Amino acid sequence: MEKPELLAPAGDLERLKIALLYGADAVYIGGMFNLRANTPNSTLEDLKEGVEYAHKLNKKVYVTVNIAMHNKECEKIKPYLKELKKINVDAIIISDPGLIKMAKEIGLEVHLSTQNSTLNKKSVKFWENEGVSRIVLARECSKEDIKDIKENNKIELEVFIHGAICASYSGRCVLSNYLTNRDSNRGGCSQICRWDFDLYNENKKIEGEKPFTFCTKDLSMAKYLPDLINLGVDSLKIEGRMRSVYYIATVVKTYRSIIDEYFNNKKTYKYNKEYEKILDDVANRESITQFFDGNFGKDVQYYNGRKETTNQEFIGIVLSYDEKNKLAKVEQRNHFKKGDNIEIFGPKTRQKLKINDIYDEDMNIIEIVRHPKQIVYLKVPEKVEENYMIKCIDKQ
Amino acid sequence: MNKISVIIKSIAEAKDIKDMVDAYLIPIEDLSINYQKTFTIEEIEEIKKLKKEVFVFINKNIHNNELEKLEETLKNIEKLNINGIIFYDISLIELKKELNLKTDLVWHQEHLTTNYVAANYYYDKGVKYTYLSSELTKREIEEIKEKYKGKTFVNVFGYLPMFTSRRRLVNNYVDTFNLKEKGNRIYKEEKYYYIDDNKKGTTVYSDYILNVKEEIKADYIVFNSNMIDEDTFKEILKDYKNNKLEKETGFLFKETIYKVK
Repeated sequence: MEKPELLAPAGDLERLKIALLYGADAVYIGGMFNLRANTPNSTLEDLKEGVEYAHKLNKKVYVTVNIAMHNKECEKIKPYLKELKKINVDAIIISDPGLIKMAKEIGLEVHLSTQNSTLNKKSVKFWENEGVSRIVLARECSKEDIKDIKENNKIELEVFIHGAICASYSGRCVLSNYLTNRDSNRGGCSQICRWDFDLYNENKKIEGEKPFTFCTKDLSMAKYLPDLINLGVDSLKIEGRMRSVYYIATVVKTYRSIIDEYFNNKKTYKYNKEYEKILDDVANRESITQFFDGNFGKDVQYYNGRKETTNQEFIGIVLSYDEKNKLAKVEQRNHFKKGDNIEIFGPKTRQKLKINDIYDEDMNIIEIVRHPKQIVYLKVPEKVEENYMIKCIDKQ
Repeated sequence: MNKISVIIKSIAEAKDIKDMVDAYLIPIEDLSINYQKTFTIEEIEEIKKLKKEVFVFINKNIHNNELEKLEETLKNIEKLNINGIIFYDISLIELKKELNLKTDLVWHQEHLTTNYVAANYYYDKGVKYTYLSSELTKREIEEIKEKYKGKTFVNVFGYLPMFTSRRRLVNNYVDTFNLKEKGNRIYKEEKYYYIDDNKKGTTVYSDYILNVKEEIKADYIVFNSNMIDEDTFKEILKDYKNNKLEKETGFLFKETIYKVK
């Protein structure tokens, strides 16, 4: 059995590098014509740099070109695909089948997006015969579904393992179009499924303790990774192209550890519940396994309004380290101060310490770091490296 | 000249409007969604006797464990000699090939049937019709008609599905908070939307009834009678361009945006 690919989201070049550094085997990233139209999508120059960076590490970059095209996009998209071929991306992720012929002519490998909601072995067979090299399965697939699909097809299967998910069948929601005039299948989704609504039975209001919403909990398959691996899933995908570097680093590192621990010793592997806590700490909603075990009753819903927690525990990122003076140069991401207990982690290491000495850029001693992106120096006894993350465990 | 096609909700209604209809669009039991009433093979056979074109909806997402049911249904439909099957799930194209079915297919991935390139792609795979998304502009519909090799269906009247989930969203809410009754409408910002939760999942519909009175360049224009009373619906069919209900053109003249400036 081959080790499956760990596939991470990359909202931009910075997050692409972080994801690969923290253990992803491949990343997916958007340029033009993708479903995250309102993020600062990558330019061709960024994508080129990202692909070169990844290939040097023997890793891969897939570019999302996953909108449902309207006529005008059909005319503009081919030159863009040619550019993607030139910069040597490893595959494009599409949802519109109109792109298959174009991609084949250009010589691009094609993965079919989850937007197509592929749920069964016959659909998979169709795409396999069409020359698609990988299917991102619908999130509604159960363990039995994945098993049967894998056993009956040769094509690569990609499965979501972590992150937010649509309340609808993917591709089958246009709430955004109707309520906000933003096209959900062309990247304008305004997440109406997370809004609260009043529920009525004809004219009578039906009220629970919290308002009605479509909102679902997030997905987390940490505990079931060995099951997915044993089913022969080829790629394990993390959702979240709009998430922070800290989130990406934490989630990728955690799943990397689980996959490696399982592969290193399958017979004695035991699920480490500590990983669940780490993932929970960076989540902004509760997580659950969703459809994998065939249960999609009331436990999948999330009735907590839009009160989502933010990661204020992420206090900084290491820019460099002076081994002689044991000083880490740090860029601030959230307020912290002398006396706080922190953890600094990199792709393979983790150290805990109490902040004692903080210096500003002129090496003056300071007590509080309160300005966004402020550059400071921290005394750190054990070696750290660029792009290590600093989280606050306990504030003074 | 458009063909008048109607999504029906009863056999009696089908008979009643027979003289105003060119084609019946019929949701089949177990494998169709978004419509109030579904029909058995026997009922479809009866409607077939009205000597109009007949298209059957198999428009639900097909889960792996539903393939057996789907195959059996397709074989039964094949015997009816109808004009086409309106499908969502791509397994239908594969099964048409594997089972060597003669019945034509209508690509209807609801909100994803948005351009002529994809429509022609499926045409080349043997799918001779496309049922266009209701989120297109009139100009886009016209351009698809010009550049598409097959025939098009376009919705012109009725409630429009906006959201479909496998989850039972109303049931889940009622169960979570131990409520005594279910709801069938949701409300937000002065608008009500019908929400239907049943064993196949949940569908939410537009707050308005689409009511297009303009000439639309399409081979089939579709009138959906679901949730509309029969007398009103009949009046619409008699002369849809001059019907008395408020005009509502949906996205025909309103282009959606996707990048917020």
